[in-house]
Amino acid sequence: MKQSTVQRLAMRRRVLKLLGAGSAAAAGGWPALQATAQARNATLVIGLDISDAGAVTPDPARMNFYTPPLTTRTVYETLITLAPGDYQTLRPLLAESWERTPDGKGFRFRLRKNVKFVSGAPMTADDVKFSFDRLVNVKDQPSAYADNLGRVEVVDPYTVDVFPTNMDLPLLTILTAPSCGIYEKKIALANGATADADAKNTDKAAQWFGTTSIGTGPYKLVTWERNVQVTMVRNPHYWNGTPGFERVIIRHIGDGGAQLLALKRGDIDVAFNLSPEQLASVSDSADLAIAAEPTFDYVYMAITSSPELNPILARKEARQAIAYAIDYDGIRDALFGGVGVRPASFIPYGIGGSSKPFVEQARYGLNPAKAKEMLAKAGVPDGFEFEMAYGTAAIAGASFPVIAQKMQSDLAKVGIKAQLRPMDYANLRTVYYQGKASSVVLSWNLNAVEPWLWGSAAVDRVAKRVHWNVPPTTRTALSAAAAERDKGKQEALYQDFQRLLIDQANLIVLLQPVYRVAYRKRIKDFRLTGAGWMAELGAAKPA
Amino acid sequence: MFRYVSNRLITSVVLALFATLVVFLIASVVPGDPILAMLGDLAASKPEIVAEYRARWGLDLPLWQQYWIFLQRLFHGDLGISISTGRPVLADIAQYAPATVELGTIAFVLSIAIGVPFGIVAAVWRDSWVDHSARFISLVGVSSPVFWLAFIALTIFYGWLQIAPGPGRLDPIDFPPANVTGSFLIDSLIAGDWETFKTAFAHLILPSLVLCAATLGLITRITRASMLETLGQDYVRVARAKGMKERAVIVRHALPNALIPVITLAGLAYANLLTGTVLTETIFSWPGLGRYTFRSALSLDLPAIMGMTLLFAIVYLIINLLVDLSYALVDPRVLKR
Repeated sequence: MKQSTVQRLAMRRRVLKLLGAGSAAAAGGWPALQATAQARNATLVIGLDISDAGAVTPDPARMNFYTPPLTTRTVYETLITLAPGDYQTLRPLLAESWERTPDGKGFRFRLRKNVKFVSGAPMTADDVKFSFDRLVNVKDQPSAYADNLGRVEVVDPYTVDVFPTNMDLPLLTILTAPSCGIYEKKIALANGATADADAKNTDKAAQWFGTTSIGTGPYKLVTWERNVQVTMVRNPHYWNGTPGFERVIIRHIGDGGAQLLALKRGDIDVAFNLSPEQLASVSDSADLAIAAEPTFDYVYMAITSSPELNPILARKEARQAIAYAIDYDGIRDALFGGVGVRPASFIPYGIGGSSKPFVEQARYGLNPAKAKEMLAKAGVPDGFEFEMAYGTAAIAGASFPVIAQKMQSDLAKVGIKAQLRPMDYANLRTVYYQGKASSVVLSWNLNAVEPWLWGSAAVDRVAKRVHWNVPPTTRTALSAAAAERDKGKQEALYQDFQRLLIDQANLIVLLQPVYRVAYRKRIKDFRLTGAGWMAELGAAKPA
Repeated sequence: MFRYVSNRLITSVVLALFATLVVFLIASVVPGDPILAMLGDLAASKPEIVAEYRARWGLDLPLWQQYWIFLQRLFHGDLGISISTGRPVLADIAQYAPATVELGTIAFVLSIAIGVPFGIVAAVWRDSWVDHSARFISLVGVSSPVFWLAFIALTIFYGWLQIAPGPGRLDPIDFPPANVTGSFLIDSLIAGDWETFKTAFAHLILPSLVLCAATLGLITRITRASMLETLGQDYVRVARAKGMKERAVIVRHALPNALIPVITLAGLAYANLLTGTVLTETIFSWPGLGRYTFRSALSLDLPAIMGMTLLFAIVYLIINLLVDLSYALVDPRVLKR
């Protein structure tokens, strides 16, 4: 019986060979090819440009932006999280509930009892303490925005207390960031990780974290090859149902055109880096769909106040003239496929009081007459010249050189002459961070969905880069907003704070794009998120 | 002969080190700061994190000291740690080099295997249709920008005709063969994995054709020109006058002499193919040295840039040496001189 099957297959192989049949014709009959087809169905393949400068490691304590959070958040889970579309409501994830500690100085998290790591070991409060302590003590990049993460105390195996260093500053929203992912203490320790106070010098696990993962997420990392591919496999011990795929592969394809070809051929299931034109060509295909999600990332322009760099830009009215001369809607329609929203200032649309009525009333809009008026007030009725630096990358499929050229032509209409200064990324960041740029156009990525993070960035580091000497009243306005517990009052206070930023006109936010990603309809429940990790990969399933 | 080779080797080492010094100095005077480029926005504003990173990569030391450390490490066979990958530069090179060598070598073999016969035929049947089409093809090959050609090739053969596989060395779901040499072709054969060999080979066809286009054009043209010149020489006329068969005249008398400039060019072309794969690798998502070098340069990753400079210098120097030695094989007069 078995013998005859083999013979039949062999015969068929010869016949097919004689007929010169291609692999497509044979796919129905060949065990090997059937296995390939099955493997393909059980694999989610994502096309994404993972060549960004920050993509060095998926280690939660050392991770940087822009693409690593997608992987990190898929293999490591946080205590609490945010759902796509609703970034105001904290939701339980590894913690099933939380409340103030009895002394009121921190937060008490009650952990889920059925959660296991990929190793099969149960997750306990010890692991939470270790993960948080290591994040703080290795003092790598993410520790910078976990500033307010203080003491962590284990109450019992399933209860842990977390204390902020400053109770007036937010903590919970920051704990939703992928860097606050929880991993298994025992295995981490065995591979050179440490959470001790001197972890900065003694933690030796940086490279090891790039070879595997030890979290509770739906998938487990198996390879992290920079610029090439990230591979994850299903976590057999996942606590929240069976993950949809056996494997998830993030394939580096840098070029949007090549991503589109691969998507149409079915070699990849999701294409992340398509331009608005490429996305438009997707909409007439029956197999493909587009997922869209508003994001908290935005394109902004930072203008200096330094008289040494540009004496005219040092005048507030000249900066306001620029803000009134930009055709914001034109940029959105021509370069971003008509999708995107515009916040009033440095706190993005959707949080921190940036509601529709507020931004529409408070933000700058295209108004050439007003721009002319401001130029006259600045003492330069015929316009002036300034330098505009930008990178060569793209955001949401729109390239910065094109955005800058559009702005240049807008400004020229009121007599302002922008000299374009395209730069590679390293030089751009250097001149900007060292406060040597007259103006820059670039994007801002969120760390965690917390208005205070944007607010403090605006008055601390960004203010320094544009030589804005922030008045104490502005700082007080921000602190008052951050410390306010009543949501309505807090939003009003953030609005007051933003009005000060708007008047100052050092920071002009051009657009908060809607990220759009094309995917094959053979997968379902594919959701993007604006909360900082690009997509909820764990939820995707074969259709 | 031995003295010649050893002299050349010593000069090569000095030249390679000199190349690293030049690149080091250039990389040090550009205004960009690799640490600021790499750190996130918030981390870059914290002086203690910036200082910590600077110290970790030795960027807080004076320039001469940084170069001295590079040399010291080099003599211990250590190229340092890449800033942007966090791994030893040597490990990175070991990982990415096989993909590039595989691609560059196939492209080189293609350009010689097609270019040389094509050039000979074009010269022998001068002004025939073969000659005209050879000239046209080499013109297209030399003058088309690689990124354009790459994308057109992908669109036609991958997107429309669907007869070529997509970007990358294997399909996304394929597992690479067990790593022995790093070359997927050789490793899959060692593992006896015929399916993977076929996939890897299929993935190589488009990128290597695109990569070899310019070289193929050059080789064809130089072979044709050199062959024409040789065919006009007195000894060829004498051979023909003696009544030798045309075939023998071309293959035995003219060809070896005509090949000398082709060998020089081919050597340089091979070095060029190995080191000039950036655009092809970018469009075809080919995880090779070209893209590694490009990304390292963009992020001012000094250890990686220095390592790649050294490697590229060595490739050029060795290939030049081999070219010079190969003259002796083709032209016995070189040794007698």
